[in-house]
Amino acid sequence: MRIPSVIIASLALIWPCLSIAAFAQQSTGAGAENPLPQAEASPNDIDGEKMFATTCGFCHQDGGRHAGRGPKLSKSERSDEYIVERIKKGKPGAMPAYGGVFSDGQIIAILAYIRGLDD
Amino acid sequence: MTLHERYVVGCATVAVAALVTISPTRAQVPTQPQEAALNAEAAQNDWPTYHGTYKSYHYSGLDQINTGNVKNLEVAWMHFPERATRGIQSTPLALDGVLYYSGSYSRVYALDGATGKTIWAYAPELDEDLVSKQTHSPYNRGIAIGHGNLYVGTVDGRLIALDLKTGKPVWDTKLLDSKKMTVGFTGAPLVVKDKVIIGAQGGEWPHRGPIFGVEGKTGAKKWEFFTVAGTEEAMKTWGGDSWRTGGGGGWMPGTYDPETNTVWWGTANPAPLYDWGGADWKKSGPRPGENLYTTSVIALDPDSGKLKFYHQELPHDAWDFDSSVGEFVMIDRGGKKLVVHANKSGYIFVYDRSNAKIENVWPLVKNINFVKSIDPKTGELIGRRDLSEGKVDPPLCPAIAGGISWNSGAYSPKNGLFYRIGQEWCMELTVEKTTPILEPMAQLNIGATFKFIPPPDGPARGHLSARDPVTGAKKWEVNYKEPPLASVLATAGNLVFVPDAEGIVHAYNADTGEELWSRNNGMGHNAGIISYMAGGKQYIAVPAGWGSLVADEFVALYGEPFKSMPKNTGALVVFALRQ
Ligand code: HEC
Repeated sequence: MRIPSVIIASLALIWPCLSIAAFAQQSTGAGAENPLPQAEASPNDIDGEKMFATTCGFCHQDGGRHAGRGPKLSKSERSDEYIVERIKKGKPGAMPAYGGVFSDGQIIAILAYIRGLDD
Repeated sequence: MTLHERYVVGCATVAVAALVTISPTRAQVPTQPQEAALNAEAAQNDWPTYHGTYKSYHYSGLDQINTGNVKNLEVAWMHFPERATRGIQSTPLALDGVLYYSGSYSRVYALDGATGKTIWAYAPELDEDLVSKQTHSPYNRGIAIGHGNLYVGTVDGRLIALDLKTGKPVWDTKLLDSKKMTVGFTGAPLVVKDKVIIGAQGGEWPHRGPIFGVEGKTGAKKWEFFTVAGTEEAMKTWGGDSWRTGGGGGWMPGTYDPETNTVWWGTANPAPLYDWGGADWKKSGPRPGENLYTTSVIALDPDSGKLKFYHQELPHDAWDFDSSVGEFVMIDRGGKKLVVHANKSGYIFVYDRSNAKIENVWPLVKNINFVKSIDPKTGELIGRRDLSEGKVDPPLCPAIAGGISWNSGAYSPKNGLFYRIGQEWCMELTVEKTTPILEPMAQLNIGATFKFIPPPDGPARGHLSARDPVTGAKKWEVNYKEPPLASVLATAGNLVFVPDAEGIVHAYNADTGEELWSRNNGMGHNAGIISYMAGGKQYIAVPAGWGSLVADEFVALYGEPFKSMPKNTGALVVFALRQ
């Protein structure tokens, strides 16, 4: 499923103002009129920071603030679409593809975490 | 079609079926290493098993190439594998003048050892969709030969036997549910009598890291040993359900001691890597208890797969310093039968070969602060730093890449010196509570964010030292701006070869460390190095090709030449003396 980038962008914008619980509520409650995807996840799964520390921090150092095996992600000039695409598709021999692993809701939570990073 | 689907189809079209070319001239090739050759101290004309011989010296008894003439060493031939994603990370084998090696995606090549001419090549069809979701992939680190077969593992969880003469598949056994576990096999198998033994990947991967014993002739699985909670005793060392997601893969090949009929194998760290239980780790945190048999050396009966004895090098490893790295160097000294094993933490453990009782423990690297020390008599960790949630202060040494990496050192029985590469670096670390992700497929379970930094005593760097393997007494040392990440080779020509990270192969005088020869292979080394004989002539074979997960760190640490170094190419480079 494709995520309209408008939604991603607005989510990213409001992210710093939202608590994790509020975010989870919003995405699960989004329902029919909002195309936000299967965020059936527990608050745990949808915690972008925690997911990052579980899996992504292995390559994106200092929580994404510093280049390591993978590039620095904080203050990225890449578009939301690009970032979501990269997380979903990965890159052979460099980064795993998470499209079949994380729900779109989880990926958006990670994107929101990345957008909220200071250097 | 979604983008994801399009991508998968695209990859599938690249998958190539086995391609086989048979040379009729090689009908007389022996299809099995001789037992005497496997049990010897030195590899002679052949390099029959991953660690050279079962003694694991990575030492060649050949001396045509020696300190006097090594300056005349030049390239004899090269071979370029297809799809060398993440470079080449394997150690070649040689048998009766034929060189065999594996590349990424478990592609295997049989080449005439004198000319490099292809005898056969094999490329398995892999689950490319799975490969694209894997982290520790698609490299392969080595092969084994026995029972007329060549054995190779795959990242999608299979062990494959190929006819050694023709490269045609003999059997193909699925051992792991890699779609669920995410990981498969990258390490070399080990042939022991009628069996071929292989360990699954995975320290930071939430599973139970099994090691398998498979019948060489048929491919039938004969036993499976769970390195996580594989016995009643071990089950008690995992609080709650934590054994289900324990990690502990035996992802590098161990070796075999024929005198006691024992397979020695090292196991990986438990998951999550970083535990927030702090000093209360026996009772709290994500995996309360000692977590047997992770970060351990284990001794298995090759016939039954039963555990004979073990030593857990780091009880409740909270730092990702696993025991799966490195070779088991079998040394007889002063009437004692010993085995020397390198732990990723930078400590070298010396054991009694009959029971894994500690004979000595000594540090190879300077920058270690996860413990104050390790008791050289008992192996007990003294002053261990158990981490709690939040920023770890001072930074942890060594860094996650370890004081010692997974490639092997070498031991020369001629001068009694052990050659091992050490790494000096630390890291800033913030421990975070995580929950293992198991659905729809397992994901890395790290439990922290971190950043590499130089150690307190200077820049991040590496060294090769020549030492007494039992006492650790140092005879000489060579320093490198960046740690070499390849294996080391010692030879009866009194030479030590070190393929380095920038791409240079160095040859040193084994007694003094004086550099006698070097050559630039044009890209970093991340693989093994061997010597063998073909047509009465000695060769040195080393794969060049950069791109392991540790190698990935070098861009941020050192910049060039790593920033511009390709990670999707490689070449096998073979050297011989100028005529
Ligand atoms: C095995 C190491 C590894 C893991 C694990 C990993 N990445 Fe990456 N990532 C990389 C590498 C390497 C690149 C650079 C790829 C390239 O060459 O474009 C990258 C690129 C990216 C980019 C694009 C950055 C840019 O500016 O081009 C994003 C966004 C990203 N990763 C996010 C993530 C997230 C989120 C996770 C966890 C769900 C993750 N990565 C896990 C290695 C990794």
